[in-house]
Amino acid sequence: MILKKQNLIVLEILTMVLFLLFLFPFVILLINSAKNSFLVTQRPMALPNHWGMILTNIKTIWTNPNIAYPSSFMTSIIVTASSIIVINIFSSQAAWVLVRNNSRTSKIIFIIFVAAMVIPFQIVMFPLLSWYRKIYEITGIRLLRTHIGLIFTYLGFGMSLSIFMFHGFIKSIPYELEEAATIDGCRKDQIFYKILSPLLTPIHATVMILNGIWIWNDYLLPLLILGKGNKVQTIPLAVSNFAGAYVVQWNLILTAILMAIVPIIIFFLAAQKYIISGMVAGSIKS
Amino acid sequence: MKRILAVAIIMVALIGSVFATGNKEKAPAKGVTITLMQNKPEIDGMLKTYAKVWNSETGNTVIIKSIGGSSSVTLGQQLKADYAAGSMPDIFVIAGKQDYKEWAGIILDLSGEKWVKDTSVAFKNNGKVYGFPVAIEGWGLAYNADLLKKAGIDPATLNNYEAYKAAFAKLDSMKTQLGIDSVVSMAAGPQMGWVTADHNFNSLLANGLPYGDMTVVNQLLNGQVDKKRLSEYADWVGLLFKYADKKILTTGNYDAQVGAFASQKAVFLHQGNWVDPNLKAAKATFKMGFAPHGSMHTTTDGIFVAAPSYYVINSKSKNIAAAKQFLNDMVYTSQGQDFMVTKADMIPAFSNIKLNPSGQLSKSVQKWSKEGKIYSWDQYYFTGDFRSLTLAPIYNQFANGSINEAKFIELMTKAFESLKK
Amino acid sequence: MKRRKQNTFIFWLFLSPVLFAFVVVIVIPFFLGIFYSFTNWSSSARADSVLTFIGLKNFYRIFRDPSFLYSFLITIIYTFLNVISINVVALVLAVVVTTKLKLRNLYRVGFFIPNLIGGLVLGYVWQFIFNNAIPAIGKAIPLLAGFANANNLILGKVDSSIVALVLVGTWQYAGYIMMIYIAAIEGVPESLIEAATIDGANSFQRFTSITIPMVAQAFTITTFLTLVQSFKQFDINVSLTAGGPSTMFMGKPIFGTELLSLNIYNTAFVANNLAEGQAKAVIFFIVLVIVSIIQVTVNKKKEVEM
Repeated sequence: MILKKQNLIVLEILTMVLFLLFLFPFVILLINSAKNSFLVTQRPMALPNHWGMILTNIKTIWTNPNIAYPSSFMTSIIVTASSIIVINIFSSQAAWVLVRNNSRTSKIIFIIFVAAMVIPFQIVMFPLLSWYRKIYEITGIRLLRTHIGLIFTYLGFGMSLSIFMFHGFIKSIPYELEEAATIDGCRKDQIFYKILSPLLTPIHATVMILNGIWIWNDYLLPLLILGKGNKVQTIPLAVSNFAGAYVVQWNLILTAILMAIVPIIIFFLAAQKYIISGMVAGSIKS
Repeated sequence: MKRILAVAIIMVALIGSVFATGNKEKAPAKGVTITLMQNKPEIDGMLKTYAKVWNSETGNTVIIKSIGGSSSVTLGQQLKADYAAGSMPDIFVIAGKQDYKEWAGIILDLSGEKWVKDTSVAFKNNGKVYGFPVAIEGWGLAYNADLLKKAGIDPATLNNYEAYKAAFAKLDSMKTQLGIDSVVSMAAGPQMGWVTADHNFNSLLANGLPYGDMTVVNQLLNGQVDKKRLSEYADWVGLLFKYADKKILTTGNYDAQVGAFASQKAVFLHQGNWVDPNLKAAKATFKMGFAPHGSMHTTTDGIFVAAPSYYVINSKSKNIAAAKQFLNDMVYTSQGQDFMVTKADMIPAFSNIKLNPSGQLSKSVQKWSKEGKIYSWDQYYFTGDFRSLTLAPIYNQFANGSINEAKFIELMTKAFESLKK
Repeated sequence: MKRRKQNTFIFWLFLSPVLFAFVVVIVIPFFLGIFYSFTNWSSSARADSVLTFIGLKNFYRIFRDPSFLYSFLITIIYTFLNVISINVVALVLAVVVTTKLKLRNLYRVGFFIPNLIGGLVLGYVWQFIFNNAIPAIGKAIPLLAGFANANNLILGKVDSSIVALVLVGTWQYAGYIMMIYIAAIEGVPESLIEAATIDGANSFQRFTSITIPMVAQAFTITTFLTLVQSFKQFDINVSLTAGGPSTMFMGKPIFGTELLSLNIYNTAFVANNLAEGQAKAVIFFIVLVIVSIIQVTVNKKKEVEM
């Protein structure tokens, strides 16, 4: 929009205030991570007396055997990274053949995938557990309490929206490109990898970010698949393990939360330019 | 096709590496590994330390899983998820009859164990012993002796409703002198249903009755309500709520509730001796103890003491012998006793153990028990569903002030009447 | 002919991984879930538990369960407020950060950041803010003294707790929806705006006659996303209010902010009635389907009209 200059200044100030309000919870989080448990509940708004306290709290969390921060962090990284890679590879392939195949089967499959997005997690969560257990009893393949089971489950839950987004994006790419390649004697699978893949970069980024945020923060699914108090746990599980206890110490909970969100915020800020433009580009198409 | 192959190889490698990390979780080669799941996060650290000691003594490993109980997942919920997933722990905790029914299909008969003769509070059903008592626990109104002294109140006289009413009013009038925010630290928020609908509720069931007397429980389970008893009880609940810090009462959590008492901002605390480690951590050094639970018009001189939770062994476990040994060793080895009593500060439920816990409230519970002035814990005869989904909201509304005492009585009556089969 | 065969082969080859995952993770558990809703399924080991078919009993029971009916009602109210709140805030933010503000890129990042944080963790932070920080602010600033009064605790009353849920939901999700609106607004051709300016349209007129219609096409996706997101809300509900405080409904005391997802979870877990929880989830699913269909059709129709 085109605005007059003084209006622009007023707007700038108002937006700044809103921006600060938006980030206010993070400020609260930060200042209270640098207090002892007594000060947190007594004077939550005060600035901490010693910022050094934050290191003490971080150390407590870092070494706490229930949180096991280093190993939980690694698990979260492995699960999130593998899941988004798997989801992206398989969903983009699937979306491409669904777009370029005009048969009735193809259309029906796509509609079923999209329709499945409305299935609430609650309806499948318990049957999923007993069903995985059956799979183990019959085939010996362990999907519960393992990374692989969790990653596979994320593929199942994440594919619908991902295919939907890839589908929208691929539809907007002119078919002529692929046709020309076909005439040049390119095989069908080569077309996907050589011609199409490079064009998909922005949507790949968007889908990865959306799934990455979801999987990194997800609580209920890891809780059910990995279980509580086991060696393999993700960061949200570790935090709730700590926060859910009867012995609630707000300063340590807030520190644990801070340590849980800092990695993803750093990642976001580092890749921010790319992410935002990717999200904007991705959302237009879908 | 080459490209597909390449991707496939990468995928296999990826999956393989994930599998590899997954498999590393296997137990050490020596001995067997058992899993114990319990519901006391406050003793988690001590239990894990003891697990290491036990491992070096026996060569067997025990994995400790502690599931806390406030907002996220409770022990019962995790057990159900684990049961559905086919990975039940070898030893787990049940609290009374309703829990027992839930898991009866897989609870091992422990009647033949050595420790059975050394305890009087094991969990029994139809004459068979199934549960190993975790500890003796007691709750009531804990008082700050220093503050009561300042106000000139002798806690021993607080054995009926009138005495409490007068004492609360007096303390309330001396707020600034004593430097307190409120008289009682009580919690009835959405996550604190276990304080109201478990513990407090039990005083309706058991206060003033001989230990183990089931009259009131059976009446209520049949939908019969003793109006006089209920209205006296409602007076008591109203009194507690009136003199409680409203913020802690309506939205506070365990930490806020115990914290107010620990920092001497409240004279009384409606909790049990399990707060001892928390009070120690908060450096609360003032003198304290449990006051008589005088919630009724007649004199009731006692507090509520029981062994409310029990370790049970999963009969489908592959390592029953090791699980049995773990329980036995807790009672009969010096390290086991040291863990239970000295480290975890629990009151042992076994007569052969001569150690004593160091916490002031635990000592107070022992004193009451020695004098025989105890009332039972009967709330577990009611289902968890009934307590946390039906009763807890009633207490919560009374605490919020959205219903008055008459309505509270009416709703409680209706709730009990709905139990009639 | 050979080419078509090859195409079919690639079609199924590329689809097979997702189809396999779809069937194993979604389809089979989904139908199992529906099946279980007609049984007495339980997940604990009662001595006498045998899976038996009990017909529509579970459904009969849940429709007479005040807590379920109340959850339904409160979820609809919450969804309504949340969808409006998120979309209004997101649209305003999107319009603001697409003007020539100096720090517009910083603002975009800032408004989006809450979306990076999971609802569970975020609920804990906000619970702390509502219960501790806001009363402390009330104590410090005389003008806001009302917030320090223990009778005015935000999470102490049902109405304000719902507002709190909406507030936190908006804070978390508005930044994401804002991105979609930004995309739509930036899709408006510059020349169109210039032409309107030359014609003498002021900025408000330009906004209503150009930006709004151009953005309208994004409404289908944003309302769909926020609708489903609000309807399924669970994480924030668990950690922020845990269903409290309590209230009365149909003469029974129940949890005042227990949204459908939490109600289902509590039925299955706390009340230990897995089968009844499944039945509730089936109803939940049917409602979601109906709502989604209505929403998409209405919006598609509108898009055509515009």
